[in-house]
Amino acid sequence: MSCDSVLKLIPLYYYGEIPPEEEDLVESHLDECPSCAAELERHRALAAALDAQRMEIPAGLLSECRGDLRAAVEGGAPLLRREREKMSKGPWELFVEALQHTFGTVRIAQPLGAMALVAVGFFAARFTGAVPGINAPATGAPMTEDVFATVRSVQPDATGRVRIAFDETRRREISGSMQDENVRRLLLAAAHEENTAVRSESMDLLKAHSSSADVRDALLNALEHDANAGVRLKALDGLKPLAGDPQVRKALLQVLQADENPAVRMQAVDLLAASPDDSMVGVFQNVVQKEDNSAVRLKCEKALKDMNASIGIF
Amino acid sequence: MSQNAAGAVGARLSPQVDSLIRAAQRGDQDAFESLVRAYDQSVLRLAMNLLRSPEDARDVYQEAFLRVYRNLHTFRFDCSFHTWLYRIVTNICLDQLRKRKVRKEEPAVVDTSEGPMDRLDGFEEDDAEADPERTMLNRQLKERIEGALAGLTPRERMVFELRHYQGLRLRAIGEMLGTTEEAAKNCLFRATQKMRSVLGDFL
Repeated sequence: MSCDSVLKLIPLYYYGEIPPEEEDLVESHLDECPSCAAELERHRALAAALDAQRMEIPAGLLSECRGDLRAAVEGGAPLLRREREKMSKGPWELFVEALQHTFGTVRIAQPLGAMALVAVGFFAARFTGAVPGINAPATGAPMTEDVFATVRSVQPDATGRVRIAFDETRRREISGSMQDENVRRLLLAAAHEENTAVRSESMDLLKAHSSSADVRDALLNALEHDANAGVRLKALDGLKPLAGDPQVRKALLQVLQADENPAVRMQAVDLLAASPDDSMVGVFQNVVQKEDNSAVRLKCEKALKDMNASIGIF
Repeated sequence: MSQNAAGAVGARLSPQVDSLIRAAQRGDQDAFESLVRAYDQSVLRLAMNLLRSPEDARDVYQEAFLRVYRNLHTFRFDCSFHTWLYRIVTNICLDQLRKRKVRKEEPAVVDTSEGPMDRLDGFEEDDAEADPERTMLNRQLKERIEGALAGLTPRERMVFELRHYQGLRLRAIGEMLGTTEEAAKNCLFRATQKMRSVLGDFL
């Protein structure tokens, strides 16, 4: 075997990725060729240097990730409690299913922009399906599999009959562009849904439309009040084009000081630092003093330095 | 295809993981959580090592396992769950690496009031080594390695990471990345050559 062939095989030989017969040939060459043997040693040194620089998982990161995931998944928990058929579906599919046949059969003509399929789920309600033997409610609407009912009260009477009051929620579906008012209205409502996955998907769709005042308000509301860090991050993403807006900046400063999630705080620093102004100096200095997370702290320090502001408070 | 295609080529599920997957597919939240915990450390380590940023690794973790959650019902046991999961994870990581190439990620080392400082120092264990000369050499080597890794294409970076740090076979890596073992071999060779040329005088 020539030196050239052996040199090409050294990385694969090191990782045990060549067939045994080829391995034997390489080894007998290495035994006789000091220059190729030295090359293998240099490869070993490279591997050892890379091993020594391996990144460790920062303390606490794994449990934070698990917490985020649990929160996201638990938001969609009802979908996992019901029938097997429902169970095999993800939150988005349930989300889309949840408002089947909405607005009658209205289909809005597809405009130039991308079409967004939008639905709002009412997962808090209990799925009942058809209830045989019960008279149709006073409205005359027959109970179908598309109806969710939440029982509000149950009262037996003297004759042995039972009086049950329940709320009904019907599944509907609407398909239209983001410019459509009905679509937009439902999306804004979805931003308040109990199901985290629904809120998260809504943020994804809304964030491209932050120029509209109602969308901006929904993004701000999610940023400041949503319980799920993933949703808050998406809201932040949507607010990026508005990083110069005074109301947005006020919310960002608040988030930087109060949000429990370091990734959210970090993103808030980035957005604020993208359009620096003097009013944020005090908050950044404060964060540098009090922030537990070193990455957030460093970002603030860097932003202060870029603004030629002092890092400490004197 | 049958749900019980346990004999399918490439299916290497341990009975325990197999039953966790089936239970999670039926909607058992605890089973899903146990399944996540069986793999999440290696997923997070992969993302952390590839992206060298805790916040990005956290995003990858969340996105990857949410995709698993949403799509687990489509898993048909025709490959190992590990391969299926890693296809998802490597796709997300490759997207992130490609985005970085476009928008030139901020450097790993930033200037602070106390001189240059590694963005990630705060996340690492304190170095008990007090020898200043050695510390400086280590820092230089670290910077050189960061540079060498940054010089690889996202695909070379991924193949190298999966082979060197995660210890996966090139055949499995090819399967995860939707390519052949031969292509993965070539990628690994190019990656090691590039790193050798950047780190040459340190070795």
